Amino acid sequence: MKGMKKIYIIAGVLILAGIGLLISAAGDMSTYSTFRQAIQSGSKVKVVGQLAKDREIYYNPTEDANYFSFYVTDQEGDVRKVILRGAKPQDFELSEQIVVTGEMAGEEFLASELLMKCPSKYKDEEVFLQKES
Amino acid sequence: MQEINYFGEHLWPGRLGHLSIIISFVFAILSAFAYARYTRGSSIERNWLKLGRLSFLVHGGSTILGIVTLFYIMLSRYYEYQYAWAHVSDDLPFAYIFSAFWEDQPGSFLLWSFWHIVLGCILLRKAGEWEAPVLTVIALLQAFIMSMLLGLYLLPDSDAFKIGYNPFMLLRDTMDAPLFANADYLQLITGKGLNPLLQNYWNTIHPPTLFLGFASVSVPFAYAMAGLMKRDYTTWIKPVLPWAMFSGSILGIGILMGSAWAYEALSFGGYWAWDPVENMSLVPWIVLVAGIHTNLIARHSGHSIRSTMVFYALALLMILFSTFLTRSGVLQDSSVHAFTELGLEWQLVLFILFFTIWFCWTYFRRYRSIPVKAEEEPTSSREFWMFIGSLVLLFSALLITFTTSIPVYNKLTDGLGWIIGSDLSGWHRSMPVDPVTHYNRYQFWIAVFIGLLSGFSIFLRYGRTLEVGALKRMLIRLSIQFGMASGMTILTWWWLDYSGWAFHILVLASWFGVIANLDYFFFFLRGRAKQAASTLSHAGFGIMIIGIIASGLKKQHISENRFAMEGLLGKEMIDRNVLLFKDAPLYIKGYEVTYVGDTLVGHTRTYEIEYVQRDSSGTVTDAFTVHPNILFDKDFKKQAASNPSTKRYLTRDVFSHIAGLPNEQADVESAKVKEDSLRYQEIRARVDSTVYLGTLSATVMGWVDSAAHPDYEPEPGDQVISAQIGLRDEDRDTMIICSPLIVLRDNLVYSYPAKVDRLGAKVRLNDAVFSGYLIQDDSLFYRPVELGPGESFDFAGYRMTLGGFDKSPEHRHFTPEEGDIAVAADLIITTGAPFAYSETLSPIFLIRKNQPYNIKSYSPATGIHARFVKLNPDTGKVTLWVSSQPGFDGLPVEIADNFAREDYIVLETILFPGINLFWLGAFLLMVGLGLGAWNRRMKMTIPG
Repeated sequence: MKGMKKIYIIAGVLILAGIGLLISAAGDMSTYSTFRQAIQSGSKVKVVGQLAKDREIYYNPTEDANYFSFYVTDQEGDVRKVILRGAKPQDFELSEQIVVTGEMAGEEFLASELLMKCPSKYKDEEVFLQKES
Repeated sequence: MQEINYFGEHLWPGRLGHLSIIISFVFAILSAFAYARYTRGSSIERNWLKLGRLSFLVHGGSTILGIVTLFYIMLSRYYEYQYAWAHVSDDLPFAYIFSAFWEDQPGSFLLWSFWHIVLGCILLRKAGEWEAPVLTVIALLQAFIMSMLLGLYLLPDSDAFKIGYNPFMLLRDTMDAPLFANADYLQLITGKGLNPLLQNYWNTIHPPTLFLGFASVSVPFAYAMAGLMKRDYTTWIKPVLPWAMFSGSILGIGILMGSAWAYEALSFGGYWAWDPVENMSLVPWIVLVAGIHTNLIARHSGHSIRSTMVFYALALLMILFSTFLTRSGVLQDSSVHAFTELGLEWQLVLFILFFTIWFCWTYFRRYRSIPVKAEEEPTSSREFWMFIGSLVLLFSALLITFTTSIPVYNKLTDGLGWIIGSDLSGWHRSMPVDPVTHYNRYQFWIAVFIGLLSGFSIFLRYGRTLEVGALKRMLIRLSIQFGMASGMTILTWWWLDYSGWAFHILVLASWFGVIANLDYFFFFLRGRAKQAASTLSHAGFGIMIIGIIASGLKKQHISENRFAMEGLLGKEMIDRNVLLFKDAPLYIKGYEVTYVGDTLVGHTRTYEIEYVQRDSSGTVTDAFTVHPNILFDKDFKKQAASNPSTKRYLTRDVFSHIAGLPNEQADVESAKVKEDSLRYQEIRARVDSTVYLGTLSATVMGWVDSAAHPDYEPEPGDQVISAQIGLRDEDRDTMIICSPLIVLRDNLVYSYPAKVDRLGAKVRLNDAVFSGYLIQDDSLFYRPVELGPGESFDFAGYRMTLGGFDKSPEHRHFTPEEGDIAVAADLIITTGAPFAYSETLSPIFLIRKNQPYNIKSYSPATGIHARFVKLNPDTGKVTLWVSSQPGFDGLPVEIADNFAREDYIVLETILFPGINLFWLGAFLLMVGLGLGAWNRRMKMTIPG
């Protein structure tokens, strides 16, 4: 059994190291913030909100191919201008929920990443069918 | 509600399909039950075995009938069925029906169960004494999968107790729409079709392979359960090995196909993004590979039987967990490619719980009776280090799962909050803001470990301690290998120019793994390929890691330029995209990039982009063209997908994709808005003068009555006028000639404007241009002229010359008949300098059945009508009648000078050095696993 014990010791060390790693990995976890929290923290956060459809969605590649701006209403109802350094994604206007990763820069939110949740195709079509008939 | 007798519905396939699902479900349970009885009882009760087999075959046949029926419904475009309506359309090519079939959850469940049946049938024939317990497990898994498709409601009119989602539901039963009050509703609907992103050959081959991988993970689990059920803990160790290796190979290939698809066809800009869906297919594979290693230990030394069971069980549970994550909708906020939810969450949870509890219960009850070898594993034995390797792999899997499960923790928090009656959503956590860095940081050291372990452990022997002499020889050998690996590391560093000591360690460990395994292959196995399975896999792993470092670390946006945003000091961001105007080369990162042009075929617009690299003397050192494309949806209303194009070199890839188009090209709505915003101004453009409009000036250069325009598709009977308008900007010297087109078809006018992007103008013809054709002869004042060939006269400010005659004339209003004598006079109209305009009118003189006729020719550019009325054979002269159009003051042209140019694309170009090392290494890894499975399959000697 001596050999197995060695295995156990090594396994034990690995598990301890694992717990350590998991704790440190948990530190990477982020929370969904609001714009207010983004201003307070001053660091990179994820903000979840809705696309403010009545505000301007701006992308003019001939001016700047890497400037795309729109407005997001966060969960506290705060509406801010979001600037994405990149091109406008397809079907952007359709999106409902939006998750932007980035930080505040003055009054605006500077996003490095954007995840949008579009209404499922199915629901979309249901609405369409109801309109058609 | 009143019953409606609907027209044209095909109801039998739906009933047949649903029935086959129910039969399949019932017989899966029956099969599991009978097989389980046979497993528990004495072997005499062969009737249970027969019943188990028969039920499994009925189950399999019935499932396949269900699959065929659903496929038939989709192929026949029976849109009365929701599944057909939502996933196919009339114009979907046959090849994509498969993609459409597994686009949604029910189809992919069916795909999964199909492979279970195929594997089950092989096991039924080949597994011998293991048939009954192994198939008990497979049949139970199948029962759970089929239950997802049952579509049974336990309470009437309530979704609360729903079991499964029936893919054979009628559209009118899935939604309430006023449309269904119409008995003939089928005439009004058409299929919605397959998501264009999935209309790709990768989506035809990736899901079947991945689901074969998923299904094959069930087999090692089933063997482990079989060992526990039969209380025979050692004999399953051998037959399970080829299955586990087969599974590792296929699942791995399935995952790789997914990355190849993402890289080649989607515009994610990489082959791996640590997306939750990707992670959760990788985790079972890692755990399975850990299990294969402990399985090998158990096979060669008798140690690690328990761990093998746990690993194989964990691999399957991870498959189930992954199924839950991708299909329950919990990933909606964190992944780009999860399924949409179907309301099967609780059933999926039950699926996981059942197999978790079943395994744990059986395992811990039998725990003490599972044999453990008394003697120790020597530290210098191969199995000792293989076991450590397995633990490291498990570790890697746990770390990935830990972070990927964040949405599940949130759900659990919500559940807890519901129990204690308070809102705990403040405790919600999100995925790391930078997932790639997060995962890489932890997997980095695991890769280092694996590289080192796979390198030296191959020189150790099972169950043996090395003697001092052997140890010495081995250490010398390892030192030499390390030396070579260091050399390779320096070369790699020189190639990639990375910084950071940790990368040196990873590269060194990887090269060491590669070199040690190659050394073993050539000097110990003497190149015998058949035994090379593990060396192949391990060398592949090392190569893959180097490929990942090269392509990931040194991935470079050719199209980037560093940019500091105004007023945001220090917040420098990388611009990934560049704007490329047509025919205007742009110099980026040593390349001269030109957007040469584009062509539209079907719904795909393919762009031609040229890259040229020159050395300092200007000599072209490299030139290539890529063809990314944009796929539009079926009504051309929107851009549906952007497919990249990659130039491949041995040492690097240049990946290009169109990140953006002008809004008005990407969707019809914007185009309409833009068209409405144009300020068209009407002018009368003359052939003998220039008309000014703001800073623009226009001159008529010519016109034709048959012309091409990119958007115009000719139809017989069309009357076409296309003018060539020379447009000039005051500030520039060049003139750009554009060709607007106008068509009269069945009394309707269609206009095809011409864009002049470089001058910011759009030009179209006014329908007044047709008025000259419609005018009656009695409102014209013809002047007769007699003249011979070469003779001229002046008329209405133009010089008219008779050029010659044409004996076989063509004219819109002239169809030749037998016995006709027809001749056209070529009347050349010219203006003086500086305009030097010239065109030819061809009026026709015709003798048909001894009667003279003539056919008029009209020029909308000059307003001249001409008739050819008489031939004088005596003098050789002819009589023409010419008239000018009353009130003619030029060609009616409308010009908008506020047209924003749209002849550009937004391009993203990424350089991936060494990406082929990744593909090569990953491929070797899977081939090694497959080879291992194949070799052991040959060794299997089980009576059928």
